[in-house]
Amino acid sequence: MVRRPVLCPGRFKSSTVKECIRAILKEKLANVQYVPEEMPELTQSLSETIKDRLKEEGFDRYKMVVQVVIGEQRGEGVNMAARCFWDADTDSYAHDVFMNDSLFCVVAAFGCFYY
Amino acid sequence: MASVSGSAEKGSGNRNLNASQGAPQVVVVNHILRKTKEDTWKSEELRKHLRASQPENQNEDQKLRENKLQKEKSVHDTDTHKHEHKDRGKSKERTRERERFKSGERDRDKMRERERGKEHQREGGRERYKDKLQESSLEKERYSVPKDKDRESNRERDKKHKRHEIKQTDTQNNLKSFEGREKEHHRRRESRHHLEEEKTRSGERERRHTEKKNSDSKKSIDKILAYTVEESDRAHKLLKQQELDKERERRHREKKEHSVRLGKERLSKERSHKGYEKEKEENHKSKRSKEGSSHGDREGQLAEAIERAKSREDERKKRDLRNSEYKNEERIQEEVNHQRVRTVKDKEDLIEKEEGDTRRKVKLFGFGPYNMAFFLGLIAITEMKESHIYNSNTGFDNFSENYEDDFEDYEDDFDDDEDKSGEERDAEENLREIPSLRTSEIEEIQRAISAENDRICTSLPKKIENEKKEPIMERQHHSVRNSFRGIFMDFQMANQRQSSRSMASKQKKRSSELLPLIDLDFSVSFSLLDLPPVNEYDMYIRNFGKMNTKQAYVQCNEDNLERDIQTEEVETLEKWTQHPAESALVSGGPVNSQDVSVNGALAPKIDSQRLANFLRSACQVIAVLLEEDQVATQPKWKLRSQQTGLSISDSCFQLNTNQPFLHDRKISCLCVSQVQRQTLLSVHGLPEKEGVGLLNRKSIICVWNIWQPSSPQKVLICDSEVICCCFSPNKTTLVFAGTTDGSLLVWDLREDSRMHPQMVISDTDWTFRVPTFSTDGILNSVNHTSPILAVEPVSTSLYADQNYGLSSLSYQEEMSGPPFQIASMDENGILNMWVVAELQKVDLAGSQTDLGLIPGGKVKLVHSSTMELSNSLFPKDVQQRMPQTLSIKFLSSNPNHFIVGTNIGLVGHGTRHDLKVLPKLFRPRGDGLRSISINAIDFFPFGKPLFLVGCSDGSIRLHQMTSEHPLIQWNDSTNGQPIIALQWALTRPSVFFVLDASSNIYIWDLLENDLLPVAKQTVPSEDVVTMALLGEPEKTNGLLGIVLGKSSGQVDIQYVKKKWALPQPEESEKLRLLLLQSF
Repeated sequence: MVRRPVLCPGRFKSSTVKECIRAILKEKLANVQYVPEEMPELTQSLSETIKDRLKEEGFDRYKMVVQVVIGEQRGEGVNMAARCFWDADTDSYAHDVFMNDSLFCVVAAFGCFYY
Repeated sequence: MASVSGSAEKGSGNRNLNASQGAPQVVVVNHILRKTKEDTWKSEELRKHLRASQPENQNEDQKLRENKLQKEKSVHDTDTHKHEHKDRGKSKERTRERERFKSGERDRDKMRERERGKEHQREGGRERYKDKLQESSLEKERYSVPKDKDRESNRERDKKHKRHEIKQTDTQNNLKSFEGREKEHHRRRESRHHLEEEKTRSGERERRHTEKKNSDSKKSIDKILAYTVEESDRAHKLLKQQELDKERERRHREKKEHSVRLGKERLSKERSHKGYEKEKEENHKSKRSKEGSSHGDREGQLAEAIERAKSREDERKKRDLRNSEYKNEERIQEEVNHQRVRTVKDKEDLIEKEEGDTRRKVKLFGFGPYNMAFFLGLIAITEMKESHIYNSNTGFDNFSENYEDDFEDYEDDFDDDEDKSGEERDAEENLREIPSLRTSEIEEIQRAISAENDRICTSLPKKIENEKKEPIMERQHHSVRNSFRGIFMDFQMANQRQSSRSMASKQKKRSSELLPLIDLDFSVSFSLLDLPPVNEYDMYIRNFGKMNTKQAYVQCNEDNLERDIQTEEVETLEKWTQHPAESALVSGGPVNSQDVSVNGALAPKIDSQRLANFLRSACQVIAVLLEEDQVATQPKWKLRSQQTGLSISDSCFQLNTNQPFLHDRKISCLCVSQVQRQTLLSVHGLPEKEGVGLLNRKSIICVWNIWQPSSPQKVLICDSEVICCCFSPNKTTLVFAGTTDGSLLVWDLREDSRMHPQMVISDTDWTFRVPTFSTDGILNSVNHTSPILAVEPVSTSLYADQNYGLSSLSYQEEMSGPPFQIASMDENGILNMWVVAELQKVDLAGSQTDLGLIPGGKVKLVHSSTMELSNSLFPKDVQQRMPQTLSIKFLSSNPNHFIVGTNIGLVGHGTRHDLKVLPKLFRPRGDGLRSISINAIDFFPFGKPLFLVGCSDGSIRLHQMTSEHPLIQWNDSTNGQPIIALQWALTRPSVFFVLDASSNIYIWDLLENDLLPVAKQTVPSEDVVTMALLGEPEKTNGLLGIVLGKSSGQVDIQYVKKKWALPQPEESEKLRLLLLQSF
């Protein structure tokens, strides 16, 4: 018998987080072309934006980790995976992929629960 | 969990990984945990690891606290484990700097500058120690040791020094533990000494002293390295002083040496800042000279320490020594304190002047470690009273264990200090009041300080890393305030530290409680992105192809491939059509060529049914006209007909029975339709000569139209000999016939001729119609087993009253007409009633259930009822005579009633539903029953229930239905010749025709003569077998024909003379009167 924290209101909901990410990506990357020099800045700003947005969602007891990867679409195959060592009962993650003609952007947001 | 959150913080600090690459394969594997483990790692191990790493993490995470801890450690440590601490606490920094040194000269210079900055700060403090050291004699070895130590701690990595260092390592190591202990002892004793002073003297001085120390130490609070170096220096020197004596006379010389040494040192270290160094040296010198008196105090301490080192060997001795030292120190410390207070005062003045200048902060900051040292001193003071010695002895060996205890002790002491803070402030005020006598010295100090600040200002901010800078600045801020407020800020710091420590312990406890409850596990790997590589062709199309197109086929020039294309124009023509068709035009369009047919457009709408009807009737009319024309043009035919004219007739003609299939066939029966008077049936019997061919063994019925006598309308054939026949009552569409073998046959004259066998005889197509329905072989249970003698149509009762044979014309239009039944009676007196049913559907394949039906036939007979007339009709006495029924007639006005002629002269009266009727029998006049056959019966056609009976004895009886006996009976009118046929005239009620067996035709006119026939005509040459009357009673044209069937097969039609044909006025009334009279 293991007791689990009850997180009804503030639970890290993958779906809502995903929606947030999607909306932001749509807004920010709609007509962006891949320019290698601009990408670092873009990833930074994107991650910050997403993180701030997620904080507004009120996952108070979560530590957020937002990772943004932007790559150029040149036809090469890309395979990305993540693996987490965490408490699967409370911690969760959400990710979304945005693609246009010149780039792809993968955003993964991980939420770790504060005990 | 702690490690998770810690790492997560790390992640949040450096949250953004950006991977901007166009590399062909990008594989990013994120692990949330800082320490990535193998899959095989067990959670237990993990937890252990996490617990173990917890304090480290805390240290790393909170640098401020870490530094403090380190300092505290070092403060505790300094006396004992300086070297060790150096290695541990600063290892990172050192390695980093080492790397930088390796990286290049430029870096090294920067580092040097920075180190110099630090060192410079230190020197302010160090000088004092050096002053102390001036007392001791300087030997090469001794001198080199601190120098090396300086180098080492400052990370100056000059090679010569290194070499030197290697030499010294052994001795150094030996010394370290020793000097550490010494240092501890010394430090504590000094503190204790302060405490004692506090007690014994007015607290002000003591506090001044402590405060000064405090402020000094505050300034170098962060410079643990420098502090340790200095401590080690001091301790080292103290060690040397053990060997030396405590000679104060040599102090000046030592001082000079020391200054020389410093100069050398600086020359080697700080080549680029010679100017500063000179200034500094001056400062040092002057300072040293000023503080000369204070050296006594230092020396006392040193001496004390030396003695303490000695007393290590003997504890008891040491205690004694301490007591003696106290005495010395009491004396000396007054001076020292006084002097120090003054210097501090000077400094504070300076600070006040330079308030707002940030450099000052940096300067002050350099003295931080002293502050810590002072705290340590306080701790030691409280501890020392009872357990100082033990702690000092035991604590050295395993520091890590005592660390915690010391820590707590420290906190306790700290609280004590807080209590004292108020007093200390007072002391501070007192301190300010102390007049500063040596302004020149102050100025010098000021200069030195400003110079140092300048140098720091230039070098430090650039070089110091951001991480380090921030806490430094924070501490500077504190130290500034500390300089004014004394110990106050330290309490805040301590508060912070304490709170953070309690927080940490809380967290630690919480985490230790939570960890066993939480299962950490590896999640399955999430696939964040799987982008398959695009094949070359798609890539090509994407780059060079057009949107929304797909390249299907490419042919290069070499072998151009062509495909034939049909390019002929397609001919088109506009047409229109309409559905449903409202008129004759259902389609059409412009006529643009001659070939286009327009018949569709102009095709009239044809009512095929009406047309068929019209054609049928028109054909008959035309055929009749043609025939008449033919008759007119053939005098022979006409002549012949005239020749055969009889006296009773105006004219006569013959039906052309001269057909090849009718040869040698005897007429057995004639039948005239009740509805269509011109239609006649003639039944031709089996030929007398046996022949071959289709028709030889078949009897034939011919359907004639008397207006078209040249050929029969239709020819019907059947297998057995036909005895009797009749038409259907309403239309001449059905023909019924009874045969000698007891079968009832039905022909449907509407049937298509193609259903029946056809033969070409004498260049003429003949269709021989076989029966539509035959009861032969079916319905055995009810079928007749003896020859059928009579077939009579029975109209339904609904029309009984009107059905005079005249009024049923209204049904002609209908296809089937009103329902009717057929009655058939055989020799044995069996009366069968049949319902004629007309099928709605034609089955050309033949019916499975109606076996008597010809394939494609529509009419069938359904047996309705059977009556045995011989039993039901006659009473017992009559039955004994075995009466045989010969003929049957149904009352036209009431079809339920019928009369049956027998072979015993009686006429039975019956009903279809076995009702009792009267009279039951119609008897002839006279007595007894004679074997007289009733050959002919005919109902009065004009409404009255009268009927004539012609008997085989030649008698004729006129009966009415209501009486058993006849109204009139004429015997011997034919001279005994049996009467064959008898029939009322159709146009005159009072006239009837009688045919006897000798071919005599008698005409009776009851109005003219009711006893004898008015005319008698013998048909010459041939036997007349049967007779029938033709006539149209509704017309008054006076046409009344007598059809005579002759045994030769001829059929003659005689038109009776007008006087017998035309009706007389009031004839019916006269007849009625006549009949009334005859009773």
